[in-house]
This record gives sequence, C-alpha cells and structure tokens, in this order.
Amino acid sequence: MSKKKTKVTVEITRRDVLTLAGVAAGSAAAAVLLTSGPLSPFSALKQEQLDVEQENGGHGATGDHHWGMVISLDQCIGCEYCLRACSAVNDVKTDKPWNIVVEEKNSAGHPFYFSRPCLHCQNAPCVEVCPVKATYHREDGLVVMDYDRCIGCRYCEVACPYDARKFNWETRDDVNPYIPTWGIAEVERRPRGVVEKCTFCIHRIDAGLKQGLTPGVHPEATPACVNICPVGARVFGDLKDPNSQVSILVKNNPTVVLREELGTRPSVLYLPPKEGL
Amino acid sequence: MATATLETKSLKISPGLLAWFALIGILLLIGLIAAVQVFLHGLEITNMNDTVPWGLWITIDLSAIALGAGAFTLSAVVYLFGIKRFQPIIRLAVFIGFIGYTSALLTLILDIGRPDRFWHPWVYWNIHSVLWEITWCITIYLTIMVFEFLPVVAEARFFDRWPWFRKIASLLHGAAPFLALLGLMISLLHQSSLGATYGIVKARPIWFKPSMPILFILSAVAVGPALTMAVAFVMEWVMGKRTVPHDILFTIARFCGFGLLLYGYLRFWDTMAVLYYGRTPSVIEAWTLLQESTPYNFSFWVLELLLGIVLPVIFFLTPRFNRRPPFLVIGAALAVMGVIVNRWNVTVSGLTVPMDYSPGTQYLTPVGSYFPNLPEWGVAAGIIGYAFLMLTLGALFLPLFSTKEAHH
Repeated sequence: MSKKKTKVTVEITRRDVLTLAGVAAGSAAAAVLLTSGPLSPFSALKQEQLDVEQENGGHGATGDHHWGMVISLDQCIGCEYCLRACSAVNDVKTDKPWNIVVEEKNSAGHPFYFSRPCLHCQNAPCVEVCPVKATYHREDGLVVMDYDRCIGCRYCEVACPYDARKFNWETRDDVNPYIPTWGIAEVERRPRGVVEKCTFCIHRIDAGLKQGLTPGVHPEATPACVNICPVGARVFGDLKDPNSQVSILVKNNPTVVLREELGTRPSVLYLPPKEGL
Repeated sequence: MATATLETKSLKISPGLLAWFALIGILLLIGLIAAVQVFLHGLEITNMNDTVPWGLWITIDLSAIALGAGAFTLSAVVYLFGIKRFQPIIRLAVFIGFIGYTSALLTLILDIGRPDRFWHPWVYWNIHSVLWEITWCITIYLTIMVFEFLPVVAEARFFDRWPWFRKIASLLHGAAPFLALLGLMISLLHQSSLGATYGIVKARPIWFKPSMPILFILSAVAVGPALTMAVAFVMEWVMGKRTVPHDILFTIARFCGFGLLLYGYLRFWDTMAVLYYGRTPSVIEAWTLLQESTPYNFSFWVLELLLGIVLPVIFFLTPRFNRRPPFLVIGAALAVMGVIVNRWNVTVSGLTVPMDYSPGTQYLTPVGSYFPNLPEWGVAAGIIGYAFLMLTLGALFLPLFSTKEAHH
C-alpha cells in the first residue's frame, strides 16, 4: 500500500471569477423568481395560508356550513349513552369506540366526565399526512374518510393528537351488542385494512339537508350521540350560522379546545366546568 | 463495447455453497409462510395494535433504505465530485442500494392494510404528505438504480444471445453520470423525509423536532457506504479473490468514521438541547417513562451510541485498527446495528409514550406496549433471506467488480 500524494494547483483566471459571479447572480435571480414570483409554487400556498388566518372556519370549511359540536363538561353525567348509540348506528367494534367517555378530575381534584368524538380539526394533522388523500376536508368542514382509497398505512392514526382513529386489523365477524337496543346500523362495516373514525354521522347530515332539514335542529339530520344524550350535554349545529345553537353557546360562554397549542382548530368546543379546569 | 466481458467459467458447487443456499432457502420459506398468513388473515395476526400501529416492519423499511444509502453517496463521490478513483466500488454500491430499496418495498407491501392498493399514491396525490413524497422518491430512485445497474446485468453471459439488449444497456451506461446526479437529488430528499415522517408529528413531543430529518440522512450517509465496504471485504474472503482495491475500502471506512463522528456529535447535542437544557416537560416525562418501563436507557446509550457510533468510529479512524479489514467489517456491522436500533427506538418509543389531550388532569391514552411476534419475525427472516440470495447471485453471476472505466 503506497501512499500517493497528489499535488493540487489552483489557477483562477479573471474569466473564472466572472463566470462564477454570473452563475451566482443567475441562481439568486432564479431563486427569487421561483420563491416569490408568479412561477412560485409557494404563492398559492401563501394565499391559502392567509385565507386560513382571516377566515374563522379555517382550512376545512369553505362552503356555506361548518358543522361543529359543543360539549358541556358540567352537564355530562358519564352515562356512555353517546358511546352506545354511536357504536350501534355506525356499527363500530365495541373495543374501539369512536366516542370515548372517561372520568376526569380538574386541578382542584373535583371529578367531571370528559367525552370525545372526532374533533374534525380545520387544520387536521391526519389530512396533512395522508399520502393518498383518503382522508380529506369537505366544504362543510368535516374530516371524512374514503374507505375505497385508504391504503392502510396508519400514518393518520400515528399523527392524530386525539387518538380518534382506529385501524381495521381484521375482517369483522363480531356481533354488535348495541344493536338493536341503542339503534340500528345505518352504515356498512368498514373492510379489513382501512382506518376509520367518527364521521359526525355524515349520512344523516347529507340525507337531512336533501330533505330540507337542519342538522342540529331536526333529529333525523343530527348525529346519534347528540340525539341520545339524556342531559343535553352535546349540542350540534352550524358554526357559520350566527343564530344556530352552537354559535350562540360559543358566543355567550368561555370555551376550551383540546390541545389548542397545536393549532389544529377543532370543530368540537368544550364548555369547561363552572369552577374551572 | 458490446462484447461479452465475462470469461467463461463453470460454477463449482461446493458443500459450503450448498449449505449457504439451504440456509437462504429456509429463510425464504419462513418468510413466504409468514407473508401468506398475513395476506390471508390480515395484520390482526401481528402484535401491532392501535396504540403502536407501526413496529418491526417499519423499522426494517427505514433501516433497509438507510443502509442502501451507499449507492447515492458513492455515486455522488464519483460523478458529482469527480473522484474517479472510487469507480471500482460503484457497481457493488448500486447493487446493495437496489437490494435495500426492494427489501423495503417488499416489507411495505405487507405492512400496509390494503396491499392491493399499493399504487394509490401514484394516482391520488397529496403533495402535502411527506409519506407521499417518500413513496414517489423511492419508486423514482429505484427506477434510476435499475437503469444504472442494467449495463452490469447486460454484461452477464446470459445476454450473449440478445445483442440488442446490450446496445440499450450501453446507451444507458453513457447516461450513468446524469442518472447518478438525478439519484443523488432524489435520495437527499427522501432519506431526510423519512426522518421528517416523525419530525413533523406535533402530537408527539418526543418526535416533534427539526433535527429528525438531519439525523436520518446523516446516519444513512455515514453507515450506507460502511455496509458496502464491509460487503466488499466479506465477498473477497468468501470468494478468495480481490474485489475492490483495499485503499478504496480504507478511504471509505475513514469517510464513514468522520460521518459517524458528525452524526454522533449532532445526536449528542440534540439530546442535550432537548433534555438537559431544554427541559420541555412533555419530553422529560416521555423520556422518564421510557427509561422506567422499557430498556430504552440501554438501547439508547449502549447499543445506539457506544456500540453503534463510538466503537465504529474508533475502528474506522484510529491507525491501530483502520487498516485491518476484520476490524473494519466488525465496525461496519456495529454501525449497521446502531442504525437499526435507532430506527426501532425512534418508531416504537415514540408510540409507547401516551398522549395527553384531555382537558382534565388524569386521563392519558394507554401506554403502548409492543414486541414483534412470530409472523413479524418470519417476514423479517424472509427479507434477510431475500437480501442474502440477491447478494449471492450477484457475486456469482454478475460482473460486480470488473469496471470498464479502469481499462480506459
């Protein structure tokens, strides 16, 4: 093994310097053009972001409606009716409910009940990470799943800050114990290999609107969990309609959103207990 | 140009080779059985669950792609920086890269819930998704590697009968520098985005940091070439003839040593900034939980840092060891182990830590618990069998180490 020393001589002519300067100036100009000019792929993005800032609805709700829910933590009694009705109507597997209800304590140590559907975030991490747009925003702000497109990579499940997504690990053959006591299945079971989550009973909203009903007012057009709640802890409606029940509640009460610091802008708002959280 | 370049020689089947093929056969059989089970019964038969939906297979994907990084790194050295001295190892590097990427894709097909929809990312675009970008980059880069490697395959004796194939291949050969540059750009993108896959998940404090993509690409650039170097040495020992000039392999080892040193330095400062100085409560909590309930402490400090970085750096850089092939091969094996453990730690540890989204003070999502089960290990064995098979066939039938450039 002989070590070879390579002699390096560097010669720089005026021509080289000029070429280099030209290349540098050219690439700088190209960079400016590409990043801020009309050719820039970012210009559309920037405008989109500005729109998000200005508009209350955020990323998702671009249409006339923005469906939202208000859940009163003081009113909830932890009966789990919402969980059961949801599981029956959407034919959800019992060990993976779309709606969860848990006992909680505030900082003073006083108990309250906390329940959580999918929050239908307007800046939804799941929508951002999905490689195939199998989960996306509808014009009315709902985050929905296209079960025919989902490839089952489970990135959305990993990225959701609220644990709202569940994967179908197997072909289901379980008997749903909540049917028919708590309702009947209104949608198909999801196939093996796709991710699922709460839909705000999208099938009811769409069918109801076609019949001229108002979701949140008419039970046929309202999510099952809201209808069944015996104490009215859940209120559903159009956040874009200032006269809807949800808008009035949000206007007149202090509200809390889950993990606000993440900037996900959920469509589910909570009314904190009177004595605070 | 288009002449047979391999001297005619018949393949001698020794008992050793036979045993080796038997081992590969067993590995492949195990993998096949496991894969069929997964296709039949779904991912239910794995130990993955809704709390830890990514596990061993994602670790294999990430590791295989990182270990295939020798291809683009060494191609860059030769074609971008014009250091032609390294030409003799390019073919092996691209071949290993090809094996790494195909291994990853094979595992991925099993890992997604709907293998029949593997083509969806190419048709349904979400350009905002890092995973979409990764899928595209990986497929494009795999295609580039096929084109880069086709001329080598065309030289095999088998293609004596189809001269037109050789002609196309020699055209491609002319495009090698261009292909290498294109591959370099694509690789820089997706090797980092694999880290970004975790780095952008703001829901999980232990992942959410801008250093993720940088650490991923640095470790890949440092360890990928080391694997190529080690494979060259091992092939030389097994086949009993020179593969790649040793001074090239020594230089690669040194390069990897410096790469690992840089990676270790950033890793150290990343840990210090996040934990010791930063003290973000959520991160500290996560770290404490991992230390208390998993062997994270050991796998991080000992496997990842000490055995995976420090020891290889010593072997690759100190004059006492860095001209002795056995130490270089051991160093590379340790570094490879370090990368695999790192990818495992990133994936599984991040998912083990529960999330806290409740407005109250008590509720957390369940603490994740996961260890791969038999079908998952079976698929892993099959993938290893596939990699061994490809390497062996390449060593036996492809002119991996004869470079035309050397004669010009």
